[in-house]
Amino acid sequence: MTTNKIIPFLLMVFLTGAVFGQAKRKVPPGFKKKAREQQNSFLDKQWWIGLTLGPNLTKAVPDGRYSVLVPTDYDIAQADKAYDGFSQLGSQATLEITFNYKGFGFSFQPTYRLSRFSYGSEFLWENTENAQETLQLNYKSKQSVDYADLPLIVKYEFTSNRLKPFIQAGIFYSVLVNASKTVERSGIDNGSGGNNPFTDPAVTVGAKDLFHKGYWGIISGAGVNYSLGNVRLVLDASYRIGMSNITNTENRFSNDRLAGIGDVFDDMKIDNIVISAGVLFPMRFLSTSFKSSDR
Amino acid sequence: MKKLLLILLISSAWSCSNEADPELDKANFTRIFNSNRYNASYNPIDIKQTADGGYLVLAGRELENSNFSGIYIIKTDNVGTFESEFIVDETFVNPVGELMLANENFYFFCMTGVNLQTQLVEVSQAGEINQVINVGGTYPSAAAMDGGNFLLLGYDNASKETVLSIVSPAGAVSQSASFSIGAGDAVEEPIINHFIRTGRKYPFQVGKTLGGQYFFNGFYNYTFSLVFTDLSEIQGVVQGQQDDGGISYLLNTTGNTFATARFNFGDNYFIPNTPINTSGVSSSTDLPGFELLELTADAPVKILASSIKNTEVLVYASNTKGGQIGLYIYDRASGDFLGTKYLGFSNPYEVSGVINTADEGILVCGTTYVAGRFPRITLFKLSKEELDKVF
Repeated sequence: MTTNKIIPFLLMVFLTGAVFGQAKRKVPPGFKKKAREQQNSFLDKQWWIGLTLGPNLTKAVPDGRYSVLVPTDYDIAQADKAYDGFSQLGSQATLEITFNYKGFGFSFQPTYRLSRFSYGSEFLWENTENAQETLQLNYKSKQSVDYADLPLIVKYEFTSNRLKPFIQAGIFYSVLVNASKTVERSGIDNGSGGNNPFTDPAVTVGAKDLFHKGYWGIISGAGVNYSLGNVRLVLDASYRIGMSNITNTENRFSNDRLAGIGDVFDDMKIDNIVISAGVLFPMRFLSTSFKSSDR
Repeated sequence: MKKLLLILLISSAWSCSNEADPELDKANFTRIFNSNRYNASYNPIDIKQTADGGYLVLAGRELENSNFSGIYIIKTDNVGTFESEFIVDETFVNPVGELMLANENFYFFCMTGVNLQTQLVEVSQAGEINQVINVGGTYPSAAAMDGGNFLLLGYDNASKETVLSIVSPAGAVSQSASFSIGAGDAVEEPIINHFIRTGRKYPFQVGKTLGGQYFFNGFYNYTFSLVFTDLSEIQGVVQGQQDDGGISYLLNTTGNTFATARFNFGDNYFIPNTPINTSGVSSSTDLPGFELLELTADAPVKILASSIKNTEVLVYASNTKGGQIGLYIYDRASGDFLGTKYLGFSNPYEVSGVINTADEGILVCGTTYVAGRFPRITLFKLSKEELDKVF
């Protein structure tokens, strides 16, 4: 079973256990007004801890362009890479620790995130004396980068119903854990007397040295909490804007295999769309019988 | 929580330092200068660093109407970005290195395409041709600096002689000496094939030893030989194996000690520290050396005296059978092997020149065959820090 399959499976098991584990508990008899006020006061403060999982999409935003292949007789812009925005699916798992106080939540959400992004470049050689003689090359470079994210987030919940929409904003620092990249080359060769489409074997290399040790950014997003029994189900989406360069400028040309085939990183920042779903458990209870703390 | 926030802020500040660094960009880069012309072909001959920190590349280019190589000049900035190119028309052909610096201009030799007369070309620091001066003589094959003058090695096909001349930057020949290659057409054939690029490329070289002797690596007495002379007579000869063996490159390191390489029927040997008899007759096969089985047959070799990790070293650069440029580092004083570094991947790479740069790095210039077929000029700039990792 692949990682992509395991994550949804675990999520399902986790949520099912959490929800049905609470389902048979009867709602306690009604409280008197004073007791309810005491409970509400108690519920003004609450710690939540839980796990969220989900997919993410990444877009690389180039800051400074770098190229191994330098044009001498055509526009240099043709050597620029074309980035695919939000086209490669990644995933992340988050341990969420949130402190709620009167609708505000202060959340630390260490995350292990796999992000993927890609770019391509195209080259064309033409014989001005023989139009039939051409070679077109297409390079596709796919990056897989693992980060440990350390975000600090402030949330605000709009209602106190079971369904609590919220908005969130914060900052994060991401520590590089691992990276690899695959370069695929294909093309159409008309230099041998006919049309000859081809695809070369992909080159995959470890690329951790090509990425900087970490980067920081800002987060904004929205989501919804749903109280189910003692737990909260949470679904949120956030947009993460990278604020610093992810490329290791010292090692930009250090990988001979990549430089040899003409691949080199631009200076770039990455933005992410992160969607997570999970369950949060209260850390403070009304009684030792573990009655609900968040109705 | 406060500590965590502090760590986060410090980490963020630290990460901000990873912005584009012009010094890093200058220190390390790889460039391939690509033309989108399908039938264009460029082969670099030599490279020099210009006063502005950029680089000037002298290259040959394939001509439509001549078997000789045409002339192509590229100027880059200090990060290897293409600045300009100068395509010389077919009037002038057969450019030969070195690119030589005199009076703040660069010079190289070539010859006219029609009557094959040797020309001295003056190139500005910006890579533009200032003037072309007729020197006389034919078939220039190698050149080097000699104080404020130039040493020129040529071949006179009328008298069938190798000619060593001293030429001023004004193009005046102040002294020259001729050496017979031997009688008969057979001995001339590989020389002409070298020039019209239909045969083996011979490692012609000319220079001056630290003791003041002139030397040339070229054809003499039926053999590709290393000849030492005072321009009035021959003083010493290291004979090759007719046209199948000889010296690949020579660098005088101290006194009578040389760093050299030789080829012999396809095999290649590095000899980083050896005395050479400059006043008698010997054979290149007397110099045993390290056999480099990974190199292509009769591989071209460049030797650069440099400094890495505060050690005086010799950098041997050559072409591997795997299509890479191999850098082999030896201790200059002892000749001990120190380390290697290989450049290039996927497409074939061939070395043309290696130079020290102003920032204590080195720059390797060569040819790569983009998409496996288009010969293009490539530069590998290696920083001091990167070189320090070699050994």
